[in-house]
Amino acid sequence: MPSHRRTVRRIAVAALLLATAAPAGAGDVAAGRRKALACQACHGLDGLSKLPDAPHLAGQPERYLVKSLDEYRKGVRKNELMTLVVKDLSDQDIADLASYYSAIEVSAQPPK
Amino acid sequence: MKNALLCVTSALVLAWASSAHAQAPTAGNLEKLSDFKTTGTPMDIPHVPQTGAKADAIKKNLARIKLPRGFKIGLYAIVPDARHIAVGPQGVVTFVGTRKSKVWAVTDRDKDRVADEVKEFAPSISFAIPNGVCFSRDGFLFIAEQNRVLVFPAAEFFYEGPDVAAFVVVKQGELIPPEEESYNHTSRVCRIGPDDKLYITLGQPFNVYAPEKMEPYKKSGIGGIVRMSREGKDRDVFATGVRNSVGMDFNPRDRTLWFTDNQVDGMGDNQPPGELNRADKAGMNFGFPYFGGGKTRTNEYKNQTPPADVTYPQVEMDAHAADLGMTFYNGRMFPQNYRNGIFSAQHGSWNRTTPVGARVMFTRLKDDGTADKTEVFADGWLTENGEYLGRPVDVAQLPDGSLLVSDDFAGAIYRIWYEGR
Repeated sequence: MPSHRRTVRRIAVAALLLATAAPAGAGDVAAGRRKALACQACHGLDGLSKLPDAPHLAGQPERYLVKSLDEYRKGVRKNELMTLVVKDLSDQDIADLASYYSAIEVSAQPPK
Repeated sequence: MKNALLCVTSALVLAWASSAHAQAPTAGNLEKLSDFKTTGTPMDIPHVPQTGAKADAIKKNLARIKLPRGFKIGLYAIVPDARHIAVGPQGVVTFVGTRKSKVWAVTDRDKDRVADEVKEFAPSISFAIPNGVCFSRDGFLFIAEQNRVLVFPAAEFFYEGPDVAAFVVVKQGELIPPEEESYNHTSRVCRIGPDDKLYITLGQPFNVYAPEKMEPYKKSGIGGIVRMSREGKDRDVFATGVRNSVGMDFNPRDRTLWFTDNQVDGMGDNQPPGELNRADKAGMNFGFPYFGGGKTRTNEYKNQTPPADVTYPQVEMDAHAADLGMTFYNGRMFPQNYRNGIFSAQHGSWNRTTPVGARVMFTRLKDDGTADKTEVFADGWLTENGEYLGRPVDVAQLPDGSLLVSDDFAGAIYRIWYEGR
């Protein structure tokens, strides 16, 4: 059983990580939906993939979406399509898009 | 609520698709079929349900589609991931390609002009991006995949069962060098020309390719159109300077090859224009990558001198509207002024700030065979809020002169017919 102090330290570290990774402003779901018109052809306004090579975005963790878009923007991740579309996105755009797609509720039914 | 409903529908479709095709085709089946041997694939091919919530939702969306006076549109078939269309010359079956792994066979058994049966074609064979489907006049179905071409003689006869006569035209890995296989721009389209040769469009994988790709691509026909005999021999590059053509058809009147081309992204919402091109001979250069669409120079090649013999498009379409499949119309159902013109589908923009496209266009030709005017023929799949209700991919004429339109977003084939007034 981990000591009480270690647990507290872990939480503090996690909180710090969160604080540094999060974008400047909090995302706005409604603004995200408007901006998602430029994403819908591949990822759908419902966040479900419309292209064989595009992933579902519905219900993705918000932080993961922010991280992915930011990595495309920085050139850490490269993709012929994504690299093009993220280049003009602001931090606020990214926050809005991430909050919209992460807010879509999904349920899963694994195969029996 | 709407999203939840969509999720449920998609989940249902997913569930159906995975359960129906638990039996994966085994390697080696193609060799057996080429040898007229059975593969042991189960005889029962599951059908795609044609009624229910999805069909009702699509029909409701079709009520929004605007057409010229006297024309009507209806749901012809539910066809998941529907891409390019090949109408069988005997009028028995319509084959529909996808960007995934299946080709669909669509049959209107009672000839009420609504399909009653949609099932997988040749389930004993595994396909990779079998987007391009086309027929020769004598009933051979060609399927151009990402990197292979197959031919199915008498496809309209054999399609009822899982085992069909199938032969290799271009072996796996020989349509393009395998190292050039990309997720981007590898949906092929094909046509049998008036010279009885097989023509295939080969999109290049990039937005704008790097200079070192120019020579190898020119040689292999990537970023162009290649042609070969129906047996896959005597291959040559028919056209170069093409970025990513996903639609072509021969004008039966003067044998010229017309094709759409998708132009460069990342240059803003309003440039460069999309293209409808005309090739009246082999060896023409259509300008890419020096030009990103129309006469707009690409940033990457703006300091280089383009070849002197570049051919510009016949029609400049709206920027980023994504002109895909096209067909010459020579039916008798539509009014006279549509005869010998071109119907073409716009998939709709994928990253424009305000989406544009998702329409069927009509282009009239002049007496000299060049383009006259282009107009919107059918639209309404893009709502005023910029949301897609559907994205047209290809158009094809049925023997009765009506027009089929495929939609890979809704997963459907529509039929447009003329009733007049």
